[in-house]
Amino acid sequence: MATLQERVIAVTARVLRMEPATIRPEHHFAKDLGAESIQSVELVANFEEEFGIEMDEDAALSVSTVGGAVDFIGKVCAEQGVAV
Amino acid sequence: MSESRTRPFPLVDRTDPNLLEETFDYSLPPLIRFDGPIIEYVEGKPVQFDPKALKTRELVITDTTFRDGQQARPPYTIEQMVHIYDLLAKLGGPNGVIRQTEFFLYTRNDRETLDRCRALGHRYPECTGWIRANSMDDFRLVQENKLTETGLLTSCSDYHIFNKLKFKSRKECMDRYCQVVDAAFSAGIRPRCHLEDITRADVEGFVFPFVERLMRMSEQVPEKLSVKVRMCDTMGFGLTYPGAELPRSVPKLVYKMNQEVGVPSSRLEWHGHNDFHKVHVNAATAWLYGCDALNSTLFGFGERTGNPPLEGAVFEYIALRGDLCGIRTEAITELAEYMRSIGLPIAENYPFVGRGFNTTQAGIHAGGLRQDERIYNIFDTTALLGRPPRVSLTDKSGADGVAHWINEFFGLKGDQRISKIKMHKVARWVFDQYEVHGRLTAISDQEMEAKVRELMPDYWARHKGQ
Repeated sequence: MATLQERVIAVTARVLRMEPATIRPEHHFAKDLGAESIQSVELVANFEEEFGIEMDEDAALSVSTVGGAVDFIGKVCAEQGVAV
Repeated sequence: MSESRTRPFPLVDRTDPNLLEETFDYSLPPLIRFDGPIIEYVEGKPVQFDPKALKTRELVITDTTFRDGQQARPPYTIEQMVHIYDLLAKLGGPNGVIRQTEFFLYTRNDRETLDRCRALGHRYPECTGWIRANSMDDFRLVQENKLTETGLLTSCSDYHIFNKLKFKSRKECMDRYCQVVDAAFSAGIRPRCHLEDITRADVEGFVFPFVERLMRMSEQVPEKLSVKVRMCDTMGFGLTYPGAELPRSVPKLVYKMNQEVGVPSSRLEWHGHNDFHKVHVNAATAWLYGCDALNSTLFGFGERTGNPPLEGAVFEYIALRGDLCGIRTEAITELAEYMRSIGLPIAENYPFVGRGFNTTQAGIHAGGLRQDERIYNIFDTTALLGRPPRVSLTDKSGADGVAHWINEFFGLKGDQRISKIKMHKVARWVFDQYEVHGRLTAISDQEMEAKVRELMPDYWARHKGQ
């Protein structure tokens, strides 16, 4: 079964149309992966769908790196009782 | 060496915002507040004006939509004028902030319009006339129509006196004007002398002597007949800057008329034109310096570049007084909708009534609106004009713009508002219109409505039903 980080990277790769293997936790969504404003929104929407969670919009959009997203989603999943 | 005037400005740190709400009370247009007297140098001597007097003087707005306003367009029908008059009465409220409006009297239609407007039974705006007064018969028209006041054209620059009216001397001109004023008195009609082209006139050599004579003549008649003086900045030459010279200085013109020639504020009126984009501020400045009546037209529509916009004067009035004073500002929107319906063009970006006056296109502004509409809206336009702030969707709108549009469309406020995360498919569609399809036009409300229905069916069902 895929880990939380692998799932976050898979969603990121799908939304940003990249190869998963090129994405690392320290990558910044905008600066390193080229995510535009609209794609940031799409990333959050796809993370919600992937994990079955609801995220606070402002907090979610303030996460800037892939690793940060893994930590943030892990926390939200724990708060909302979603197993990952 | 001059001494440095700089001083330290230490940061006043705080953790809550200071929104300056004593000025920017969102329920009103931003208040115009003064922190001291206004000083203008007249003939080298400082003269003080007390802005606090603006709260107590009987400032009024007068209207010339049916006279100057109509000189710039094909005639209104009787029905149209009656409807506009009715809405002006509603807008000005029971205190008569819109105090008077003036009518031509020359044709049967002019006179029927006047009768039908009066038949509505509104106390305000009072109906007055406007005549050329070339012939004494004109006063018969005023009398027969039972009007108590009429405007008379008394052009006062030498451009008019000599080059247009062909008088042989200023004295001949002044005598002729005074004959006409006498005729008005004899007919029991209050004359309102329209000093056409005053900002290009020899004020010391003709205007002030003429008005001084009018004031002396007024002393011989009952107060209700005493002459009113309308200062007409016919070519829009007026200036508000301190230190500007006569005849272009609005402050000095008003001051001298009021304090030196002796025309009471209540009998002084300012009528401007917008040839140099100064029309509204010139008129409001006349208010400030002692002229009680500001003459205007709806949406500034008038000869050439137009007149002071009445709706601008209404918001200026509220901002100076700090109170609505019975004014029903929502009638401004009704008037604009009506004017559009009868073919009067109003620019998209025209203040207060243009279709886009409180519509933002930039995503960063839409983001601000989404968080707190006060950030990018001038006042509570929903309450005062029935016009909530909107976003127009283009390539600059971003997801914030889409979110604002959708929440406004569903009528959602506060915690009910849908986050932009939930509308990412619509935002993507908007984005692709420009990035993928190379669109160059804004997205219409109809297109957005269809897309929201298609891409957000659950929300559509919840908020719009089936």
